[in-house]
Amino acid sequence: MTESIIEADIVVVGGGSAGSTAAIRAQQALPRGRVVLLEKAHIKRSGAIAIGMDGLNNAIIPGHATAEQYVKEITMANDGIVNQRAIMEYAVNSYSMIEELDRWGVKFQKNESGDFDVKKVHHKGSYVLPMPEGYDLKKILTRVLKRSGVRIINRVMATRLLRDGERVAGVLGFDTRDGEFTVIRAKAVILCCGASGRLGLPASGYLYGTYENPSNAGDGYSLAYHAGAELTGIECFQINPLIKDFNGPACAYVTGPLGGHTVNARGHRFIESDYWSGHMMMEFYRELHSENGPVYLKLDHLAPETLTEIERVLHRTERPSRGRFHQGRGKSYGQDMVEMHISEIGLCSGHSGSGVWVNERGETTVPGLYTAGDMACVPHNYLLGALTYGKLCAAHALDYIANVEISADLSGQIAAERERVFAPLSRPNGIPHHQFEYKVRRLVNDYLQPPKSANRLQNGLDHFLRANDELSEVGASSPHELMRVMESHFIRDCAEMAARSSLYRTESRWGLYHYRQDFPKLDDDNWFAHVNLKKDESGAMTLFKRPIAPYIVPLDKAELRGYHGLRIARESALSA
Amino acid sequence: MSELTDRETVKARQASLVGNAQTVRRFDVPVVVDQAKCITGCRICIDSCPVDCLTVNPETGKANMAFDECWYCLACEIDCPKDAITVKIPFLLR
Repeated sequence: MTESIIEADIVVVGGGSAGSTAAIRAQQALPRGRVVLLEKAHIKRSGAIAIGMDGLNNAIIPGHATAEQYVKEITMANDGIVNQRAIMEYAVNSYSMIEELDRWGVKFQKNESGDFDVKKVHHKGSYVLPMPEGYDLKKILTRVLKRSGVRIINRVMATRLLRDGERVAGVLGFDTRDGEFTVIRAKAVILCCGASGRLGLPASGYLYGTYENPSNAGDGYSLAYHAGAELTGIECFQINPLIKDFNGPACAYVTGPLGGHTVNARGHRFIESDYWSGHMMMEFYRELHSENGPVYLKLDHLAPETLTEIERVLHRTERPSRGRFHQGRGKSYGQDMVEMHISEIGLCSGHSGSGVWVNERGETTVPGLYTAGDMACVPHNYLLGALTYGKLCAAHALDYIANVEISADLSGQIAAERERVFAPLSRPNGIPHHQFEYKVRRLVNDYLQPPKSANRLQNGLDHFLRANDELSEVGASSPHELMRVMESHFIRDCAEMAARSSLYRTESRWGLYHYRQDFPKLDDDNWFAHVNLKKDESGAMTLFKRPIAPYIVPLDKAELRGYHGLRIARESALSA
Repeated sequence: MSELTDRETVKARQASLVGNAQTVRRFDVPVVVDQAKCITGCRICIDSCPVDCLTVNPETGKANMAFDECWYCLACEIDCPKDAITVKIPFLLR
């Protein structure tokens, strides 16, 4: 295998939403080509929004909401376990990101007077800004990126980060088409690798039928961990209410403002708010498994023209194949309710609060290493959070590199990684990657899917440690298969982190996301703290509490519980 | 009885040391390419696929789904300039 050696000032890993704005912003201040964007797929269709997005879920539009209200809402939604400064930094910088997107040609829904047409989906405030033509979003980002002068490298997968003492010094990986080993020496690294979306196994049994883009296999969580960075809130899983089997969002955010509801099998509403939080998911879970289950998205009471409008958005954006899914089963929004279920577990700070620890500058605990988007812990940060924090990371990384030189010789690390990565190619008849992956993810379902208990979590952890040994039996016969094998390493790492973090926090918090049957109560006296983990000097995974920084937007005790009790007090029948 | 136990002990040890045996099986895959419409040498859909599950079939020069790893996202279908691709929902989900 040949080797490609590249030098850059800043390397961005992952060309989705966060990676695009990070690379564009960094390149603005540097000579052409000194910013490298590494993408495992191809930037024109990569990341969580490969097919676009139907709206911004957390837009703070002047006149509709304030930064302080938003910080309060997300503090509530994440049961108080937040670094408010990081959320505030998003809140005050995100509106200018919307204006920039508007200039780039992204079309937002506006009312008759030309103002942004904001909708209420969250429990308290109004933050949802529809993008009915959001199918163009990724194309627009790609166009801006190509004009910017960023050096774009597609189909190269990062497998480890280079370290020079304490600081990060580059990225190692390989080309998933021709197998070329890739060394990128850089002054700073911005990880934008997305969620750990291939962790639990979808109920369908199809490995790639995940909620998240299956390219997002937890690469960034594992890269950051092995570079020595702290991760946080890993026990605060991502679990979403989805269309059963199809496993994509039923889209209450799109349909809710147009009159759609989440209901039980009797057609009755049971939750106060459709906004995805752990407490909402707890009520969803209870209803699903009750005599009133399953749960449905109800649209069959809406006018035909409203249904046409809904289909116009849902069949063109985000997961458009839902149209052929419903049609194949002989169902329609006008005649039938859409059956829903609960997704497999994942890790994602875009939706919940599990990610790499970052401060309000996007810095991890490793000097020179920044991270943004779904993998960076700024809870409930969604698409606009990724775009905003990509820019913030780039701005701070530019300051950092002013006093840093590219590291000279790191040949020991490079040789060791080359040997590790290519080892599976020496056993083309080893265990196939898909069998290994199926087994680990099936065990994730068996032992980590809430409700959690110490006995099950411990058994799961034992299995994931055994899986680490089994990885030395997994083989690959091509660079494509090698990509899947290296993803299997990431998936297993994430499973171990999820088991250990869930065992460590001996209380229940975030509704279903961390519901411990053996510790069913929320326990602020002992657990009003972040649970962080890192790789210690001996190479072992170590867990510890990190105190919550004093709030800059204070909440009283009742407000902190603002997202508890989302069940409608008395079931109300919908007027037919 | 003791003879059986011994046999299992011996085979249990052997099972942990012996190499791998393999077989292949067919899969129904979601991406269906109209061979007549697909342009030989065009790689647009192959670039589009976020999971890299499409390749050029070396025998026909046309695109096909080589790995059963589809997210049914429709990137290939939407980006194909000849409308040669139809993505079905994977059978396990259909």
